[in-house]
Amino acid sequence: MNGADPEMVVEGLVEMGPGGPRLIGSHCLGCGTLYFPQMPGCPNPDCHDKRLERTLLPDEGTLYSYTIQRYQPPPLFRMDDWAPYVLGLVDLGAGLRVMGMLSGIGENEVEIGMKLRLAVEPLYRDAERGDVCTYMFAAAGDRA
Amino acid sequence: MRPVYALGAGVHPWGKWPDKPQLQLALEAMDAALADAGVAWPDVQALAAASSRFEGGMGWGLHANEVVQAVAEQGMPCINVGGACAAGVIALQSAYSLIASGQYDVVAALGAERMPKGFIPRPPGGKDDRTDNDYLRWVTMGATNPAYWAIEARRRQHDHGTTAETLAKASVLMRRNAAGNRYARYRDPVGVEEVFASPMVADPLHLLQICPVSDGAAAVILGSEDFVKRSGKPAVWVAGCAVGSGQFGDPARRIPTIATTVREGIPHTSEVVGAVRRAFEMAGVAPKDIDVLEMADNTAWHILAWPELFGFYEPGQGDWMLENGKLAIDGEIAVNPSGGFLSFGEATTAQALLQVAEVLWQLRGQAEGHQVSDAKVGMTAVLGLGANGGSVILTR
Ligand SMILES: [Zn+2]
Repeated sequence: MNGADPEMVVEGLVEMGPGGPRLIGSHCLGCGTLYFPQMPGCPNPDCHDKRLERTLLPDEGTLYSYTIQRYQPPPLFRMDDWAPYVLGLVDLGAGLRVMGMLSGIGENEVEIGMKLRLAVEPLYRDAERGDVCTYMFAAAGDRA
Repeated sequence: MRPVYALGAGVHPWGKWPDKPQLQLALEAMDAALADAGVAWPDVQALAAASSRFEGGMGWGLHANEVVQAVAEQGMPCINVGGACAAGVIALQSAYSLIASGQYDVVAALGAERMPKGFIPRPPGGKDDRTDNDYLRWVTMGATNPAYWAIEARRRQHDHGTTAETLAKASVLMRRNAAGNRYARYRDPVGVEEVFASPMVADPLHLLQICPVSDGAAAVILGSEDFVKRSGKPAVWVAGCAVGSGQFGDPARRIPTIATTVREGIPHTSEVVGAVRRAFEMAGVAPKDIDVLEMADNTAWHILAWPELFGFYEPGQGDWMLENGKLAIDGEIAVNPSGGFLSFGEATTAQALLQVAEVLWQLRGQAEGHQVSDAKVGMTAVLGLGANGGSVILTR
């Protein structure tokens, strides 16, 4: 992506790289576990090292399950032209499952097991901040 | 450890009680429990209260202190516990331990709650940044509580072929059970059509498949064997009493987190499954021995999934059990003969004690209007925010 990084709804979750957006998580040097978002410690009881390093997570995964959010969430959630949307649980491998909105996938197209790829999409337009974005998951292969 | 007995219980009916402060609900539940146990405040040596974060407790979660300062300033220990929706069972565990240890002979556990209107608000104390999960889940994706459960339900449909109709029938069963229970808030039976006609909240869950929020209060009085013998009161043995928290690798979608690290071999909803297993072990019983199971049915999905998680039958078999009447009051194992949270609504800190009261009355044959025939062993199971779980087994 050229130019300025997109304005995100919250800082520290996504890094924009040459290959597209990546989620920022933690990797445990002791047991190898991946976490999202970054963790203050490693809760694995079999892990004795527990030192964590910042890491970029896989940007592709498969849909493990989903729902359609049919009513408008309370005001902390902001979205222009609100309409029901698909909320997915995406398996990124290594046991890590991440929730997020699905982008460009209608309720009749969504299917457990489908391949998805991380995306960054605008949620709303703010007078001062411009387009404010969040991470989402889009159908893999849909992106140029 | 000394054996512990349930002497009595009291419940303030669930509903919306705008004219009754939380303290009033608490005192009425306590009065009912004391009367049921045949004791009075001077007999009570300690009080463990589940602390609400919504109302009362002098603003600091001091719910036990607030109660004793109102009616029983006799120097007793006041134990105020947290645990969100499972706080009631943690209060009971505290009361249980005080008696089992030999320190006291009569101890009360109490939970009383007036829920805020609409959405349960984000708790205070979090920062508006990525370190607060409850902030993240709202701003990044607007994930409501029902969405978490709906994701579980949708996966169950994928794994076990659970139909929309079976999911609807779980709600139908709860409302049928509640029809006979004067403490329940929603007592009108509903049919599958009405469940389907209620608004879709988060597919596949409709409004009537998700528990609402309510006001309510419940109290349980526990006593030692010495006290039971001395007083000659009828009592039911608390054969198992356990609380626990979640295990690493649990695949459950845990509110309000936005991701999970899953490991093979870790039970789903491990905080509750762990407590249930410990309670079974303490009581020396197995699922086949249980006549009544009062479990947290935050949604219709829970009715199908939870007994499987606890080992009552194989994963996926819940659908067949429900469809064939095996979970009804006159079935093989009565699941929520009270009507469950789907008929009561969540009164967070009180609900685990409501479950214990229900099981106690079932074992005594006093569950007027919804009695399970000849119930001998009953169990509760409840889940709370922060991966708190608890389970209690009573036997007669
Ligand atoms: Zn580790």
